[in-house]
Formats: sequence, structure tokens, C-alpha cells
Amino acid sequence: MAQNRIRPQSSRNRGRALFIASFLAPAVALYGLFVVLPVIQAFQFSMYEWRGISDQKNFVGLQNFKDLFTDNVFWLSLEHNLLILVGAGALFLGVGMLVAHALQGEGRISKGMRSVYLFPQMISLVVVAVLWQFIYNPSFGLLTPVLKLVGLGKLASEGIAATASTALPAVAIAYVWYGVGFYIMVLSAGIRGIPSEVQEAATLDGAKGFQRFREITLPQLWAVMRVSVVYIVIHAVNIFALVFLMTQGGPDRKTEVMLTYLYERAFVDSKFGFATALAVANFIVVMALSGLVMRLYRKDPTGVAV
Amino acid sequence: MKKALVGLALALFALSVVLPLAWMVLTSLKSGPEIFSTPWGLPGTPHFENYAHAWQKAGIAHYFLNSLLITVATLVVLLPIGAMAAYIFARYPFPGSKLLFGTFLGGLMVPQFLAIVPLFFLMQRLNLLDTKIGLTAVYVAYSLPFTVFVMTAFFQTLPRELDEAAMMDGCGHSLAFWRVMLPLAKPGLIVVGIFNAIGLWNEYSLALVLISSDENRTLPLGIANLVMVEHYQSDWGALFAALVIVMVPVLIVYWIFREKIHETMLAGALKG
Repeated sequence: MAQNRIRPQSSRNRGRALFIASFLAPAVALYGLFVVLPVIQAFQFSMYEWRGISDQKNFVGLQNFKDLFTDNVFWLSLEHNLLILVGAGALFLGVGMLVAHALQGEGRISKGMRSVYLFPQMISLVVVAVLWQFIYNPSFGLLTPVLKLVGLGKLASEGIAATASTALPAVAIAYVWYGVGFYIMVLSAGIRGIPSEVQEAATLDGAKGFQRFREITLPQLWAVMRVSVVYIVIHAVNIFALVFLMTQGGPDRKTEVMLTYLYERAFVDSKFGFATALAVANFIVVMALSGLVMRLYRKDPTGVAV
Repeated sequence: MKKALVGLALALFALSVVLPLAWMVLTSLKSGPEIFSTPWGLPGTPHFENYAHAWQKAGIAHYFLNSLLITVATLVVLLPIGAMAAYIFARYPFPGSKLLFGTFLGGLMVPQFLAIVPLFFLMQRLNLLDTKIGLTAVYVAYSLPFTVFVMTAFFQTLPRELDEAAMMDGCGHSLAFWRVMLPLAKPGLIVVGIFNAIGLWNEYSLALVLISSDENRTLPLGIANLVMVEHYQSDWGALFAALVIVMVPVLIVYWIFREKIHETMLAGALKG
């Protein structure tokens, strides 16, 4: 009797296991082969000197990382990533907060605007990059007549994206145009999520304008701000297509960022070990900075655990 | 007074978003000399032949078909296998299932470029470098984290009684999924499908590394190649037209599904 009861149970279990395995297999196989395996190999590759020919792979330990840390272009590109992070990040949060604040409520204007500011997010970065290259174009760019009008004709005729001192800001502006909608969206949701009693109580207490914003709205947006800053970090450190297509890191490496340098070392110079070490370093920078942001923003002033 | 100021600021902001796009569309309808003489002007007569030139002479038609093929093929594989895995994570916990789910979600955090060099050599070894099928396989793999994440959340919202009832009616685990759960998951699949479709249509970095021949170029690669490598600058109007051609399908899809897309972006941003 007991035997009889166990047998169907175990065969049902086996059926269940088989079902689970068969349903997971395709996704696990593709994800394991094309994502997990290369990620693991990246850490391994970064310790080899390799020019892409299979039998000439030398284990060099941490030599690639030593080379990386004494490589001026690496530090320069990291600096550019951080400048974009701070500059574009400030604009993302500043413009994002202003527009989100102005759009409070679920009105028709608010909804209509949402569809507009998310437009650039939907467009391929290739289109964004080429479009902004054209906007800065000295002979027919959209911005060129405006710059001439305000007395920046010389700069305009040299091309802002092609002039050493203005190339990085030029790229950053295109980047902000592309990305700001995302932060408006997130911050708007945050503002909508503030309980109306909180706002009303503050109004009754006589909090007005900026004071009300600083003391009531901002602390309530803590969690949303933290998420936004983490996204800013991840995207700024991983910026590639826009820079690669607008300036190729030039002029004279003035817009070189980590990933454009990685691409050059790997697929132009065939320094695959060095390039992979750079990829690992890039990953570590992302993780370290996001970790730092999470730590700095850990204490929630409203006392609500998120 | 204050309201008017806020309104003005918002209008200026909206203008700064729309103006570059409007300029792109207007310029795509201008003749070559017009582009240079009146950057801020309207086209005298619309030069629709710019679109014909882009489509035929600049080879955009070919890139367009490649992009369409690769995007559709990716979705056809991605959606069922992503939904299958998500269904297991949502309904069939087993020892280690949390860890496996975490590994999939980890893919949302890992930058593509971390894996790019090993991936390049993996594809070379598999003879999949510079092939449409290779790029499709890679696209499926890199789209899985987001797909599994959203679909798992979706299956968790469906009442358990439904698949239990299906099983009572004599469906096996598998049949209950295909007959009952997957049709119910259609709204989730549509959102995930659209989201992935937009991302895949626009994708540049992976294609740049994995595709080298003109024959296999996708639309973003093709445009980038026209501008950067071939300096296809004898025909500016056609180049602007090409940009519009890349953008328009996405904007149409976005416009139709904008509420859903917005919802999903927000959910993804705040949970992820």
C-alpha cells in the first residue's frame, strides 16, 4: 500500500522536474553561452596578453592592469566619463526636477508633454549622434546661425564638436537632450507618489515656494533620487555609441571615454588582453560608484525604509 | 504671473526637444543648395526624391530589410523561451531557482562591453561572426534578462486557480502553459515585445562588433557607415531622409503604445 502511494508521487515529481528542465533549457542555454560564459571569460582574458591569434596567448597575471594604471589615455578617458557624469548628471536632475515639478498633476498638458519628452529616448543613438553632428555643422547646422547671432561665429565656423575646448560639452548636450526624458519621467512619478496630506500639512504650516520644495518635496523624493543617480552613474560610465559616432573620441582624445578607448585597443590595435582589463576596470568603476551612491543615500530623512 | 512663467518655461523645453526633430524632417525635404543657404528656412517645394535616393542609391532598403528580419527573428525566439523560463520562476520553485533567477536579473546590471571581447572570439569559434543568425542569437540572449524579469512579474499576478483548474481538467504542466497561461499572458508579451523591438531596431554597439560585411548590416550600422566611413556627403538631403526612415517606424510604434511603454519603463526603472 505504502509503496503504491509513493510511486505515483515520485513519478509525478520526476514529471515535474522534467517539465521544469525542459522549460528552462532554451533560455538557460542561450543566456549561459552568450552572456554568462563571456562575462566569466572576461576576467580570465584580462590576465593574458593576446593579439587574437589562438596559439599566442601568454598568461601575464596583473600586468594588463599595471599597464592600464600607467596609461595616460585610460586616466584621461576616465576623467571624461566622470566629467560627463557630473555635468550631464547635474542637468538631468536639475532640468528633470524643474520640468517634473512644473508638470505636477495628471492633467492633459502633463500627459501630452510626457509623450514629447520621451521621444528622444525612443530614437536610435545613431540617429541622435548624426543629427547632433549636423546641428553643430559649421556650414548648415541648426545651431550655427544662432551662435553667429550671439557673437560666437568663430567657434561656430570651426564646429563646436570639432574644437578641443568645446567638444566634450557639445557631446554632453546631445546626451542630455537624448536622456533627460527618462529622469523627468522618474521624478514625476516620485512627485505624484508624495501623499497629498504631506503637501497640505506643509502648506498649513506656512511653508512656501522653495522652502516647501526643500523641506517637504525633496526628502520625500529620496528613494527616487537615489535610483536616478544610480542610473546616471551606470549610463555615464558606460557611454559609447554617442561619443563614438559624434567625435570618435577626438579631437586629439578630448572626448575619449573608457569604452571608445576599449573599442580602439581591442578592434583597431588588437590588444585584446589590455582591452579586456579595461572592460573589467570599467565594470569595477560602475559597481564602486553605484555602491557609493547607495551608501550615501542610505539614510532616508523621512524615516521610511525603502 | 507665476503660472505664465512656468508655462513659458515648459513651452521652451518642449521646443528644445521637438525643434531638432522637426529640423531633421524639414531638411530631409530640401534640395542640396537649400540645405546650405537656409538652414532655418522651410523647403521651397518638398523634395521627396531625397527619400527615393536614400532608399535605393544609398542602400537603405537593404539595411531596412536586414533590421526588420533580425528584429522579428529575435522576437520569435525570445518571447516563447523567455515566457517559458519566467513561468517556471513564477510558479515552480525548485532548489536553486532563486539563484538562477538572480543570475538572469544580474544581466540587467552587467555592461555589454564587459563581455564584448570574449563574445567576439566565441562567435568567431562558432563561425557565427558576421552572420544574421549569430547576431539574432546574441540579441535573444541579451534581451532575456529584461524579458524574464517582466514576464515573471506578470505571471505572478495571474491567479493560481487558473493553472490549477487547467491541470484538474487533465492538462499536464506543459499543456496548461500553452493552452491557458500563455494566452492570458498576451498583454505582458505585447509590452515586452514592443519594448524589445524598439531596442533591437535601434541597437548599435553589439552589431558594430559582430557584423562586418555590408550584406549583413542593420539599419543603424548602415547609416553610421554612410556618414562616418563612406562620407556619403554628396547628397545631404538623402542622408537626412535616411535618418527619418530609421526614426519613423519607432515613433509610430511608440505613439500607438505610449501609455503602456511609459508604464513599463517606469516599473522597470523603479524596481530594477
